Amino acid sequence: MTALIRAELFKLRTVQVTAWLLVATLTVVVAGGPRPRARRSSRHRARPAAGSALLAVAVASASAGEIIVMIMGILAMSQELRFGTATSTFLVTPRRGRVVGAKLAALTIAGLVFALVSMVVAVPLSVVLIRAEGGTIIWDGQVADVLVAAVLVMMLYGLLGIAIGALVRNQIAAIAGSLTWVFIIEGALAGLLPDAARWSPAGATGAALQIGTWTGNQDMLTPWWLGLLVLAGWTVLIAVVGTRSALQRDLT
Amino acid sequence: MTARGDVATTIVFDGLTKQFGQTHAVHELSATVRPGVVTAFLGPNGAGKTTTLRMLLGLVTPSRGTATFDGRRYDELSHPVRQVGALLEATGFHPSRTAVNHLRTIAVAARLDPRAPGRVLETVGLADAADRKVGGFSLGMRQRLGLAAALLGDPPVLVLDEPANGLDPHGIRWLREFLCGLAQEGRTVLVSSHVLPEVEQTADDVLLLAHGQLVRQTSLSELRAEHAHGADIRTPHAQELDLLLTAAGYPSSVVGPGRLVADAPPSVVGDLAAAHGIAVHRLVESTVGLEDLFLTLTADVSP
Repeated sequence: MTALIRAELFKLRTVQVTAWLLVATLTVVVAGGPRPRARRSSRHRARPAAGSALLAVAVASASAGEIIVMIMGILAMSQELRFGTATSTFLVTPRRGRVVGAKLAALTIAGLVFALVSMVVAVPLSVVLIRAEGGTIIWDGQVADVLVAAVLVMMLYGLLGIAIGALVRNQIAAIAGSLTWVFIIEGALAGLLPDAARWSPAGATGAALQIGTWTGNQDMLTPWWLGLLVLAGWTVLIAVVGTRSALQRDLT
Repeated sequence: MTARGDVATTIVFDGLTKQFGQTHAVHELSATVRPGVVTAFLGPNGAGKTTTLRMLLGLVTPSRGTATFDGRRYDELSHPVRQVGALLEATGFHPSRTAVNHLRTIAVAARLDPRAPGRVLETVGLADAADRKVGGFSLGMRQRLGLAAALLGDPPVLVLDEPANGLDPHGIRWLREFLCGLAQEGRTVLVSSHVLPEVEQTADDVLLLAHGQLVRQTSLSELRAEHAHGADIRTPHAQELDLLLTAAGYPSSVVGPGRLVADAPPSVVGDLAAAHGIAVHRLVESTVGLEDLFLTLTADVSP
């Protein structure tokens, strides 16, 4: 299994798109870092965070790169079908469940790398920006929780990408579909059915990153780790359904 | 490449069937592919060759029947890359990955010697293009890279789907000699093709497939001997003999003054002429071209 995971990591390293995705992630970190994440849900306007929450807010905002890690996961799966490398992958490993397992493991590692790189940029940048505006930096438990949650969220979104890629064969459909979900349907859901939106993938993500504490959104799940669990649940659900169909499909 | 006197693998198809909805892509295919020779898997496009090979390699699930290597399904092999090398299509590469990195993805996953990719690129004549991206490769180069991937684990069995596609005449000749060499080392070599001349000089055994059904399993030499039954006849009574042959159930036709050809063994023509007192000036056995034979055999089965 370690050989398979190494092979999957090697595949990620040897295509250009991975480098571009890292560039895109850092762009999102730098562009979105200092600003609050609240624009995502239109219902709750951002308001200036007070005191100790400042750094946590900045870090949470910087982790918006999770969508890009998700796209990396989708590509890791769907490019195999698009370019026909799935044939050679399944010839090497005819037990397809092991291939999906190796991809999940590889994206966990890749998601961790992307998350750490993001945080290495986001934390000092936030500190500098907060200081520049005369704010006070307070390292408290909330900052630590958000940091941990931000890393785990990025790792989970990589897995979510693999799960979506296994479920939806067509690459364009998988990417367009998931972006539509994140940016349009989730927004509408938050406005129309806040009770359901709390449990949606984006709702759970927001809860994990504690964005409710600075957007004033009271509908968020608490505590923050419950959000992570719900997000993990979504990932497992889609992965199970997607993997089952990927395992049985004829590769013609 | 290592010699393989002791490791011989036999491929067995047993009642292999694949239905896509109402269509039988492959129907009740049973055949044996033996080691040490090149076996040609022949049939027109759409005959079901690729579906058969994909079932053999575990990529398509059969509706019924089995395809095994020494009794084991592909997904039951302990180390598939070292046991079976397969070439399936020219498109299975990520365009932005280099040739050697494509092979490394396989070598890493299959725990092969890290030097294996370089070695097989050398074998197929792609060493100079090792660090080029596959996106810029010609069809022939992709085909060679696919072949390199098949050879990566130095397997005793090779399953190649239309390996000559995209190769120039020089490449086809190279492939021919290469496949013969692999078979002489004792390997099992199964090669599909829809063009008979491609394999005519290479193959020993032949599996003929048409409309998803196995038409014949035989050797090329037997096939030739069996169908070399035409007769080329010179006689002053061409019309008369033509009618007699046709009446006896042998298709024949007058092709010139005093000359006719018949789809019948010369002995039958001679006996028939003697029985009716027809003088024959010349009677020669004519051989049917394998190409014609291939077309006739594969056209005979109703879908």
